[in-house]
Amino acid sequence: MTNYLAQFQTIKNACDHLVIAVEDVNDLWPTLKSRFEERLPFKKGFLNNKTRNSVFVENLHAEFILTTDARLRSRYPQEQYLFWFREPYATVVLVTCEDLDEFKNILKPRLKLIVQNDEKEWFIVFVSRAHPSNDQATKMAKKVYSKIEVDFNSRRRERCCKLDLHGTEPKFWEDLESKIMECIRNTLDRRVQFYEDEIRKLSEQRFMPVWNFCNFFILKESLAFMFEMANLHEDALREYDELELCYQETVNVTGKRREFGGLDHGDDQAALLNPGDKLLTQIVQDDSFREFEFRQYLFACQAKLLFKLNRPFEVASRGYPFIINFSKALALRENILPFCMREVWVITACLALINETSSRYRDGPVVPDTEKEFCRLQGDLYSLCRIKFMRLACLIGYGTDIEKSPVNSASLSMLPWPKPAVWPSVPPDASTEVLAKEKMILQATPRIKHFGIQRKPLPLEPAVLVREANRRRASLSGGNMYEILDGSPNFNDGSGSDASSKMSPSNKVQPTSMSRTNSSPGFEGSIDRPMRLAEIYVAAEHALKHTISNPELWKTLSSREELEQKYLELTKGAAENYHQSWWKRHGVVLDGEIAAVCFQRGNFDLAAKSYEKVCALYAGEGWQDLLAEVLPNLAECQKMLNDQAGYLSSCVRLLSLDKGLFSTKERQAFQSEVVSLAHSEMKNTVPLDVSSLITFSGNAGPPLELCDGDPGTLSVTLWSGFPDDITLDSLSLTLMATYNADEGGKALRSSSATVLKPGKNTITFALPPQKPGSYVLGVLTGRIGHLSFRSHSFSKVGPADSDDFMSYEKPTRPILKVFNPRPLVDLAAAVSSGLLINEAQWIGVIARPINYSLKGAVLHIDTGPGLQTEESHVIEMESYNNESESSAEMENHGHADLDSSLAMNKYFKQLCLLDGKIDFPDWASDVTSILWIPVRATEDRLARGSSSVAPQKQSIVDGMRTIALRLEFGVSHNQIFERTIALHFTDPFHVSTRVADKCNDGSMLLQVTLHSQVKASLTIYDAWLDLQDGFVHTGQGDGRPTSGFFPLVISPNSRAGLLFSIGLGKTTAEDETEAIKSDSILSIRYGISGDRNSGAHPPVAMKSNGIESVGEGLIFRSALVLQRPVLDPCIAVGFLPLPSDCLRVGQLVAMQWRVERLKDFEENEVPKNNDEVLYEVSANSENWMVAGRKRGHVCLSTKQGSRIVISILCLPLAAGYVRPPQLMLPDIDEANISNSPAGPHLVCVLPPALSSSYCIPA
Amino acid sequence: MATTACFIIVSRNDIPIYEAEVGSAAKREDAAQLHQFILHAALDIVQDLAWTTSAMFLKSIDRFNDLVVSVYVTAGHILYIFN
Repeated sequence: MTNYLAQFQTIKNACDHLVIAVEDVNDLWPTLKSRFEERLPFKKGFLNNKTRNSVFVENLHAEFILTTDARLRSRYPQEQYLFWFREPYATVVLVTCEDLDEFKNILKPRLKLIVQNDEKEWFIVFVSRAHPSNDQATKMAKKVYSKIEVDFNSRRRERCCKLDLHGTEPKFWEDLESKIMECIRNTLDRRVQFYEDEIRKLSEQRFMPVWNFCNFFILKESLAFMFEMANLHEDALREYDELELCYQETVNVTGKRREFGGLDHGDDQAALLNPGDKLLTQIVQDDSFREFEFRQYLFACQAKLLFKLNRPFEVASRGYPFIINFSKALALRENILPFCMREVWVITACLALINETSSRYRDGPVVPDTEKEFCRLQGDLYSLCRIKFMRLACLIGYGTDIEKSPVNSASLSMLPWPKPAVWPSVPPDASTEVLAKEKMILQATPRIKHFGIQRKPLPLEPAVLVREANRRRASLSGGNMYEILDGSPNFNDGSGSDASSKMSPSNKVQPTSMSRTNSSPGFEGSIDRPMRLAEIYVAAEHALKHTISNPELWKTLSSREELEQKYLELTKGAAENYHQSWWKRHGVVLDGEIAAVCFQRGNFDLAAKSYEKVCALYAGEGWQDLLAEVLPNLAECQKMLNDQAGYLSSCVRLLSLDKGLFSTKERQAFQSEVVSLAHSEMKNTVPLDVSSLITFSGNAGPPLELCDGDPGTLSVTLWSGFPDDITLDSLSLTLMATYNADEGGKALRSSSATVLKPGKNTITFALPPQKPGSYVLGVLTGRIGHLSFRSHSFSKVGPADSDDFMSYEKPTRPILKVFNPRPLVDLAAAVSSGLLINEAQWIGVIARPINYSLKGAVLHIDTGPGLQTEESHVIEMESYNNESESSAEMENHGHADLDSSLAMNKYFKQLCLLDGKIDFPDWASDVTSILWIPVRATEDRLARGSSSVAPQKQSIVDGMRTIALRLEFGVSHNQIFERTIALHFTDPFHVSTRVADKCNDGSMLLQVTLHSQVKASLTIYDAWLDLQDGFVHTGQGDGRPTSGFFPLVISPNSRAGLLFSIGLGKTTAEDETEAIKSDSILSIRYGISGDRNSGAHPPVAMKSNGIESVGEGLIFRSALVLQRPVLDPCIAVGFLPLPSDCLRVGQLVAMQWRVERLKDFEENEVPKNNDEVLYEVSANSENWMVAGRKRGHVCLSTKQGSRIVISILCLPLAAGYVRPPQLMLPDIDEANISNSPAGPHLVCVLPPALSSSYCIPA
Repeated sequence: MATTACFIIVSRNDIPIYEAEVGSAAKREDAAQLHQFILHAALDIVQDLAWTTSAMFLKSIDRFNDLVVSVYVTAGHILYIFN
């Protein structure tokens, strides 16, 4: 059967569509051919797939072929079976007949003959040539057709249809198509069944020796091909898949050594999408096929079908693993394949797959998820291609151009070198090329990293190429002796190999095993000498040139520029596709590779942009090792671009990376870059975020607590990530209030230059008074030269050791608490009442600090009117120990021995008042103290006594004095406490008098009661009364009580009485000379013994002189009013009763007084116009309106008993009980006026009567 | 190389929070870098794969020549990656 392979191939190539046979009985075909072929390809139809499910197919290609055609005739039956797929799928029998007899006799037997073959699927098309106008003919045609129908239609199946040549019969074509389709379906089913049976039969023999894969393949592919022709691509694909599986099994199971293939010219170019690359007959081998070609063939067939199914994505998704697997298969045969065949094949396969799938994909429908996946596959393909391409580049000496980045290193350093059986050797005439390569090696300077970073470049090679190549050389492979490197001069035959050895990667490994001598026989001659690197490159290049059949690909490897171009193209392709597939990490990493090329080309702008992406990715995800690799490159680009801000920021980021990633020297280089740039000529200040480098936190422990208005010092821990000391020109820190986030923080400045040591630093800031609230640290800003930096983070990356480690401190932890305003001190008077007026008195001011130090406090004293400080006296200050307070404090502090300690700490100091200020001594800073200030309240008026007749209206306000105190305290006297203390001063006594008894002899006993007003016992030493005019002392006394009663002690708040005997008397001549005394004066000499802590006390000055002697010297004077009784009334004034009805507001009323002369005036008292009396009506103007003359003279005869009535019209203005108007007689002494009958004190005034006039209609 | 392994715990926002190199073989100098690079790149695959399966252990999701990356994803989307 293998013999049929060639034939099969030809047949397959020749026919790619279904065949429909036309049995032209009556030579109708020439006229109908074009009309039939118009129907092709069939637009739609339903066919059964392999599982007998109906499948919709469109555009089914087919061809009508006459049965008489040579193509259908000359076939052997066996051939027909084998290649049954090419046999007609339907037979259309074209007949016409116009005569029944003819039909019966000739046509019918003939038709029977034609259709007797069961294998055929047939149907009859009856063509009526009758013209519609020719009724006869039409009739006849109908008759014949119905006859045919009767004869050939079976019950199950209609096999006839009629075509009117002259009529328009659109239904006919539909009918025809459906009939053809039915035939095809049936034929297909039968043939599928046949093939399946055959395949099953063959499969059963799989493990028998006669098994032949080629036969199986022909059957299987025939079936697949048939499906393909019938547009049943899915089924065709399934057949190929099964075929592939079966082939794999065959290859793997049978132990026969077969040729692999791949040795032909052009095999390096992958044919995985080109099924017709090689003829199957070329690749057949024994009973199977060569793996290299056949696997590609199968994949190509699958790909073709997938493309037909419009599934390019699937091609890619199957293609990638295919390439990987195939590459592995190639790797196994590397020793027989041409040098680097595997790499080249992978490159071409990837590129072919990428080109084909992407171009087809763009045309097809796009599903988002699939699109992502598709791009990912494309990215993978590009990436794979790129790796292999780089490997080739390394082999031919362009490895130095490849960036030694993690991605390249990871890809290449684990990918073994090609393993040819024999490493290619240098062609004989290549010495110039070797020289050129050597020159290239020499010129290639390894890229020096910026900042002088000494980092061993990442390897791109899995092993040292020199060693690998020499090991595989034919002549040396035996002993593996040449584990040798070209470091030894023994092997250098001049011509720059010294230099090349230095530059070659091999010099990384020091030749430690070089002690072996090289004198064993057979090593002489250049062929046995180990190859040098340049030679290896040249040899590889020549070998590759031999391998690569595609001139385009070879061109990309031929020069550095081309190579770079291709490399960039592949990298870009991979990066773009990865980005589109949302594999951002893969994409960004490759962006970094693009950046490296841009950088080499001097396109720093693009390079910087790409590097930034890479850095952002690594930094964002915190992969520091990787970041450390890329960041210096970015920094270098930024430096080249003169992007100072970016460069500085990169330096800072470099510094803030893990310490272990860079050596101290490198880190110092970063810092010096920052510092030198900061101090260089920068146009503008550059802002820089150093959050990752300089971090700060408050000190551990509770936050600093301050009272409102107090300044303070805030200590902050700064952690510097700089490797060296760094000088900050200025530094400021903002505090953020937690209660109000909107309000910008307040900046604390430390203007002087600060030197930060590496690691932990403690910086103190002067803290001006802040508003109450709690504060957290906000932002740290500062300047280094022109650089204004800013940090707003707490330490995250603290060093591990516990001392420097700063915990993850939440920024919400307050660093400072400023309390709400609260009383910090209290000033109060120790005693505020009952101090002696007109005497120097101590007033005690208690200064009580409330949990606040009064250190350095200054008290300003300002006395109010009527009060002076006795500046001549010192002020005393002592600690104040109040019973209640001390016990309260004891409770608070829990000090049991507080009393004793307080007793011990009893302080006392004398202070001087300077400009109204007193400085507090230090000891008074935190204890309650009392200040004794000597003051004197002055009062010019004489105290007045009260009597039972005229009760004294004593006002407490008279003795009130104020003293304003202002205490300045706090750290910088910023706290001020002001208080005005009211002090009440009083006389020692209040004097009241009454006449105790009127004696018969005209004298009276005047009782003087002394009320003590002070909380001190008073001692009266003496008292005397200077009487006013008209009164005299009776008896022989001089107005003093009996001295035997003195000294009289009066307890606080008690009373004592004195009795004076006085009488009415004329003024003596002595008295005339003195001023007329209107008041009697009571003088009392007294002493006082009191405590200043409780009230009145001996005056200040006396205390200093001694209480005893001077205590008696105090004199108290009080005026007493003695009133003579009314003894001789001259005129009586009587208030006449008011009208009986009540007074009303608004109603006039006549007030009447009767004035009557009781007796004649005494001469001296009579005025000149003695018959006239002056009167005056006094009335409260708010209550009364006086309608007559308020004041005037009335005539009253001087005769005794004369009387007159004074009548005044008055109008009450206010309702209620009001005082009526009073009649006064100003000219006459009150003592001579008797009120009889006495007027009422109050009269009732009613409210005005309601006026009803407004309410009642007229 | 085959006997060394790298174990990394990656937080849900892709930040490596723990890293350990285990194994007896002599370390390559660039092993840390290599491992980090490979594991970082594998996050791309994890991000796709983690949502397609309910399994927590994603087995070997990526190969890099000799190195195989396996991932265990916790419910909180913290990854444990081995290779």
